Amino acid sequence: MVLPLKKSVEELEEESSPLPIGTYWQLVRRKFLRHRLALFGLIALSCVVCLSVFGPMFTSRAYDEMDLLNRFKPPLSAGYLFGTDELGRDVFVRIMYGGRISLFVGLTSSLLSTSIGLLVGLLSGYLGGIVDRLLMRFVDVMLSIPLFPILLILTMVFGSGVKNTILVLTVFGWMGVSRLVRGVVLSLRENEYVMAARVLGTSKLKILFKHILPNVMPITIVSLTLNLSYAILAESSLSYLGLGIQPPTPSWGNMLQRAMNYILATGLEKVVPWWLVFFPGFMIFITVLSVNFLGDGLRDALDPRFVSES
Amino acid sequence: MRRYLLIRFLELIPIFFLISLIIFFILNAMPGDPLLTMRMENPRAMTRDPAKIAELRKYYHLDDPFIVRYGVWLWSFLKGDLGYSSMYKQPVLGIILKRLPNTLLLTVTAWLIGLIVAFPIGIYSAVKKYSLFDYFFTVLAFIGISLPTFWFALMAIIVFSVWLGWFPVTGVQTYGVSGFWNVFFDRLRHLALPALVLGLVQVAYWVRYIRTALLEVLDQDYIRTAYSKGADERRVILKHALRNALIPIITIIALDIPYFFGGALIIETIFSWPGMGRLIYEAVLASDYNLAINCLMFLAVITLLSNLLADILYVIVDPRIRLGAKAV
Repeated sequence: MVLPLKKSVEELEEESSPLPIGTYWQLVRRKFLRHRLALFGLIALSCVVCLSVFGPMFTSRAYDEMDLLNRFKPPLSAGYLFGTDELGRDVFVRIMYGGRISLFVGLTSSLLSTSIGLLVGLLSGYLGGIVDRLLMRFVDVMLSIPLFPILLILTMVFGSGVKNTILVLTVFGWMGVSRLVRGVVLSLRENEYVMAARVLGTSKLKILFKHILPNVMPITIVSLTLNLSYAILAESSLSYLGLGIQPPTPSWGNMLQRAMNYILATGLEKVVPWWLVFFPGFMIFITVLSVNFLGDGLRDALDPRFVSES
Repeated sequence: MRRYLLIRFLELIPIFFLISLIIFFILNAMPGDPLLTMRMENPRAMTRDPAKIAELRKYYHLDDPFIVRYGVWLWSFLKGDLGYSSMYKQPVLGIILKRLPNTLLLTVTAWLIGLIVAFPIGIYSAVKKYSLFDYFFTVLAFIGISLPTFWFALMAIIVFSVWLGWFPVTGVQTYGVSGFWNVFFDRLRHLALPALVLGLVQVAYWVRYIRTALLEVLDQDYIRTAYSKGADERRVILKHALRNALIPIITIIALDIPYFFGGALIIETIFSWPGMGRLIYEAVLASDYNLAINCLMFLAVITLLSNLLADILYVIVDPRIRLGAKAV
């Protein structure tokens, strides 16, 4: 039986080529912009970054400027947008300066740890054999040490402060990335184009950096966002416990440090200074949430398998 | 099966040694001379006689090579001699054993709360994929992952303890409460808020994992077969699909146990809950190296045991698992 040919050739061609037109990065951008949550993340994160980087330039108050007549002022009173803390310092100004520190620590340590993870993953996956076994066993071991307690203890050993917080977060932040990257390299290594490059006599190093590295980048970028959100959370937790960034330098974490005491100390007749807790924590939350949304959008957009889906 | 578990157990031993090596390395990176520290803590009891000091150095193996000191330290750890806490002036083992039940009570309760909440939501999200319910909990999961634990805990205290007065603010129990049921309910009231906070933070992760794992299984042919044979949806999902989805879920849930101790550390500190996490925090603040390091060793051992627990659960859930056939 011959089926009647109902469709024109053009229609058929259109159907049989599901791949949208454009370069990889054009497709990524298109896909990313369609991801509503990721777009929200990008916009919110940009706002937070701008507020922290440029905000302090437009304010006359310093982050440690005290106004002892206006202690514990609630938000939107006495000219303070987010209220004042126990020393009459402007919570809003401190949040902007704290954002600089928190974002700097988060970004630096996540960039460092992701780079280390990428390097270890590349070496482990590509070299294979004994190097791979040793490195991955080491990763297993590092991963079975409870993360937050060891971060705490490392700050005791190295001391606290901006530099040491970055160091500690880097030393214990690279393992997850290296595992992911290794997995991808293992599957890439067996591809025909790598084989072809090897047959052509390309050096191992060149294959690794010219042929494999670009294909590992998507998963690395996604891991970077995961590491960034973890680093911001961990820094703020350490600083909250008094072991990360040290006062008077404000960070979103250490701003909450003594807030608890005042909340318990104020009786029912006085106003609970909830804003001391709410605003810095909310900034951490909204930043980490944006980074996570961004990461999710990038995961969908960068994955070449998903690009073809409209 | 017994062979499988035995091999799994034996595999943990080298990992344990490597962990202890890393921890001992950190202990060694601590600044300062141990004898000097001892003298500072207890000036009158310490001798200044050089001969005696040399004897003490020899007794504590201070001048021996790293690997010898590691061996001596590990051997005494395995014998249960954990040394003294400089903060409490007591043997470390006793302090840890006194704190451990509190932590276990908190984490196990939180863990159970997490499971009880996460499973129905995760299953329903997978079954009603892309529905409003699913979308709502997807966003909620992102929110949960992004919440700083300490902030969530502090806000919970402000709202539920300070403003509404439903729960006591901190501690394990009220002094002066007597009678079995009074004590029981009093402790329950103290446990409720920290356990809820700790458990609910974890729910967000688990809902995602349960949903993903179940979705993967629901695509399989045998699920369609079960449907086409007329099995009702409830039976297909709970009997056919969930059982197979459980393996990856168990991996995640058992491997999350160490994260619970990390979360518990912050929660215990905020709620003044006298557990292991708070103990580590106090030790770190007081520079009580020995106490802190030994707490860490304990947590590492518990982590390894939870890995073993995951293996045991695999065997219970999946009869196919033998050493040759790999778990997902």
